Amino acid sequence: MSALSLAELQQAFRTHLLGEEQAVLVAAAVGDRIPAAARLRVYRHHVFASLTSALGATFSTVRGAVGDDFFAAIARAFIAQSPPVGPVLSEYGADFAAFVTRWPAAAALPYLADVARLDWALNLAYTAPDTPGLTAEHLAAVPADQLDGLTLKPRPGVALLRSHYPIDRIWALNHGGDVDTVDLDAGGVCLLVLPRTDDAAFADLDAGAAALMAALEAGDPLGLALERALAAAPDLDVGAALGRLLALGALAAPAP
Amino acid sequence: MVDAAPDSAPRAGIGLRAPHLDEVAERAPSVGFLEIHAENYLADGPALRRVERLRAAHAMSVHGVGLSLGSADGIDAHHLDRVAALIAQLQPRFVSEHLAWSVVGGAYLNDLLPLPYTEESLAVVARNIDRVQTALKCPVMIENPSSYVAFAHTSMTEPAFLAALVARTGCRLLCDVNNIFVSASNVGFDPVAYLDALPAAAIGEIHLAGHARNDADGETILIDDHGSRVSDAVWSLYRHAIARFGARPTLVEWDTDVPALEVLLDEAARADREAAAMVGQAA
Repeated sequence: MSALSLAELQQAFRTHLLGEEQAVLVAAAVGDRIPAAARLRVYRHHVFASLTSALGATFSTVRGAVGDDFFAAIARAFIAQSPPVGPVLSEYGADFAAFVTRWPAAAALPYLADVARLDWALNLAYTAPDTPGLTAEHLAAVPADQLDGLTLKPRPGVALLRSHYPIDRIWALNHGGDVDTVDLDAGGVCLLVLPRTDDAAFADLDAGAAALMAALEAGDPLGLALERALAAAPDLDVGAALGRLLALGALAAPAP
Repeated sequence: MVDAAPDSAPRAGIGLRAPHLDEVAERAPSVGFLEIHAENYLADGPALRRVERLRAAHAMSVHGVGLSLGSADGIDAHHLDRVAALIAQLQPRFVSEHLAWSVVGGAYLNDLLPLPYTEESLAVVARNIDRVQTALKCPVMIENPSSYVAFAHTSMTEPAFLAALVARTGCRLLCDVNNIFVSASNVGFDPVAYLDALPAAAIGEIHLAGHARNDADGETILIDDHGSRVSDAVWSLYRHAIARFGARPTLVEWDTDVPALEVLLDEAARADREAAAMVGQAA
């Protein structure tokens, strides 16, 4: 039998690690006091354990909400189907929330995919570059007749998240927040996820501020975005809503 | 970056891990250098900014775990660009990677996977190292892996393979003494003969760490988990390494159940004492 080429060996190793045992790989490995298959299992165990741990760090609220065993089962299936495409593990899991939506055992936990989206958004905010936020002074420097046409972009790392479930309280319950129980029927939330100098955070937005943020995120100029926010929340104090987004550091400072 | 003339009495360094970032910044402990894993600092964010601030007080070492020097597919150009940017930013004293592979067909398998030591593998790894050293604009130290399996078609020993890489690429070597001990026990070779076969002049750094003993089908297999103090047997092998290579910048690594910073500093201080005793004997 001719030896496997390096490319063949590496392909077989991948299949062996993530799925089916590969007889050609077992045959190529030296077995002695410890059989070759048992030796290869050491690598398989490490791949799944280390990637499960990485996903558990990124999706810490999901893991807390379902427990370690349930989380390990989802993670194992996810890893086998979607191994990382690069070695930066904080970037692994972009499609995990979508996977959770389809995971049969999670069907009874309809909030879980939204919790995964919150964890992922916090992860992106944490690794966002530190950039300055838009301030009231920036806006004051814009001629009044140009304000309506102004396009305001979110700061890198800022994300608006809507859920039919109180995912803010689920997060707090799992991260030492002042929450003992979560009533899943308590209603939905609009959360704005934000980078912070040494961390990432989120804030609750009311319907009007959320509509304003959504319109700005979609690229609407300020005048149109304010109209949309008023349509969503007729009693809205538009100045206060914009002021809240500025205070949260949600919008990017204009390029110098 | 990599200091070609070995320092006569280099102080041991510690692996800088996330739980210790704040404390190291506050205390500025007296250690030879701080080693980070490149892949933990390629994304932007507070961790990178903290490490950037530590540069003022500490020599840095950037240790890659994801370049996959043994990939038959070659090096991921995007990842290499990011590592190059980090190295340009941090200007570390040492840059190192592993004799291993993790990437095939675009999947990153998050382990340092074993290579058969053949002429084909040598050509692949040498080509990949050339590409990395060109991109990083500095020599890279290549670390011997911890092995759990060997391949039947391997045609040369690991030290011979490493020596051939040095000759072909001008790379240097990072001698992980714990990995030698773990591999020797798992795949069966004499760790002292292994050390004696390495090209001494190429050794730029030494790694020390703890390992665990696991069971594989009723037999003991050593796992390189970096989760405990350095074992007595590894200290003994370290003394042999210093006797043969001379004192070299040494790093204490700890990645599983990371203990208090004090414990790492204590292990680094022991490495200093062990090395000083060996150098003293030789003088």
